[in-house]
Amino acid sequence: MTDAPLLEVRGLRAGYGQVNVLHDIDLSVGTGEVVVVLGANGAGKSTLMSAMSGLIPHSGEILVDGSPVGHPRPDQMLARGISLVPQGRGTLTALDVTDNLRVGGTGLGSKKDVDEEIDRWFGIFPRLAERADQIAGTLSGGEQQMLAIARALMSRPRLLLCDEISLGLAPLIVQELFGTLRRVSAESGTALLLVEQNAELALDIASRVYLLEVGAVASSGTADSFRENNNIRQAYLGY
Amino acid sequence: MDIFLSRLFSGMTAGSIYVLIALALVVVFRSSSTINFAQGEFALFTTYVAWWLTERGLNIWVAIPPIIVLGFVMGALAERFLIRPVRKRDETAILIVALGLFTGLNGLDGWIWGSDEKVFPAMFPSGEDDYVSVLGARLHYDSILVWIFAAAVVIGLTVLFKRTSLGLEMRAVATNPESAALCGIKVGRILTISWGLSAAIGSLAGVMLVPTIPPGQLNLASMFQVLIFASAAALLGGLDSVKGAVVGGMVMGIGLAMINGYATFIGGSFSLTFALILIVVVLVVRPTGLYGTRRLERV
Repeated sequence: MTDAPLLEVRGLRAGYGQVNVLHDIDLSVGTGEVVVVLGANGAGKSTLMSAMSGLIPHSGEILVDGSPVGHPRPDQMLARGISLVPQGRGTLTALDVTDNLRVGGTGLGSKKDVDEEIDRWFGIFPRLAERADQIAGTLSGGEQQMLAIARALMSRPRLLLCDEISLGLAPLIVQELFGTLRRVSAESGTALLLVEQNAELALDIASRVYLLEVGAVASSGTADSFRENNNIRQAYLGY
Repeated sequence: MDIFLSRLFSGMTAGSIYVLIALALVVVFRSSSTINFAQGEFALFTTYVAWWLTERGLNIWVAIPPIIVLGFVMGALAERFLIRPVRKRDETAILIVALGLFTGLNGLDGWIWGSDEKVFPAMFPSGEDDYVSVLGARLHYDSILVWIFAAAVVIGLTVLFKRTSLGLEMRAVATNPESAALCGIKVGRILTISWGLSAAIGSLAGVMLVPTIPPGQLNLASMFQVLIFASAAALLGGLDSVKGAVVGGMVMGIGLAMINGYATFIGGSFSLTFALILIVVVLVVRPTGLYGTRRLERV
């Protein structure tokens, strides 16, 4: 075993067409670690997640377990154990809940593994189990977010990237989701990289923080140091 | 009664062909939200190859499996090397490539095989006496054969989509390609397979089709009308629905047979106009067709 971080990016640049959104981002997530990326609207958080999961092209280096991975497709990042819960949930709206989960388990070896994993997530999210045969497009926002998280975890990833899972959801549901994520991460050693506007909740479960401002890392440090920093507290926590 | 039945039978036979071509359109549309206008020309090309093989002394039955494989390969290659490079740009680019394929393939057929009519071999004896009598109406063997093939393809596709992991991946890609990719599905591979499968179905439809439209001869225009009827059928049923293609195809086939049979004052040449009117009406009144998925989303 090496000490290389599970995921590391060096000098990452990405954007859309001619427009560059991210400028030389350096960031890393260790095995089992919970890291949060804070930033205002338009800071480049979603672009960062998309680039790291292979959805959009990038320049600079992405390393998994210390080795550069080049320019992988999303399925190749997933094969390396890195899974994304996309912003807007990416629900497969025309498929039922069980089939959504089954698709999430595409990379698992056998049908038995897939069924086991589905049972596990139905245990963790009983509301999904109640709606197993329902078309996913008809679920409520909170249920779709549960489904998106469960689907992204079906492949048993080592690192889960979560793009603003709190967006548009009631505070109680967000709390429940974060609680579940924390538990799952602790139980199965899955590392988490959360991108959030909801700084307070994110700081609660994260150990390290990156602060993104206009496409660049403005500062980084432990969650505790961020909570104690007056400027950041005022800007992002509002007290 | 017997006249009605024989019109029904011939309508069902034409309908079966429309069902097959409509299914080919549906398979591509489901996975890539594109209507492949070159669908008919893929089928025409492989049908010419089938004719060419039988001219070399091969039995038509022996010629079918290789041309289905050829259809699959053509469809897959077209997706991989012509459609995929322009996919990122926009829908119009795909449409233009499909139109290019349409005219290009038709020109290629004419260049290789000439524009004269080819006598196409029947798959079953289809002479005057080769029928079974049903309530006084003649049911020809080759009609029954077309029904059986169409039914087999419908059942096969239903099983594929509902019961296999490949089918599940195809449905996932159809619903949301980005999410499908994030779930580990190789989206490009699924699209290639879909186009191949679609062209393979078209190949089968091609060899079944030519003997059923009088006078049973193959020419460069053999697919034009059929593609329009099948497109109308697919639209009527809903472009992403297997069930819709079946119902739409049968409605077109039987409907046209009845109109041409009973409303003779309209005349046979009205068929194409009828199909085009139907396309416009469906697009205006119910763009998702009878069984297409209305997007079920709650915000």
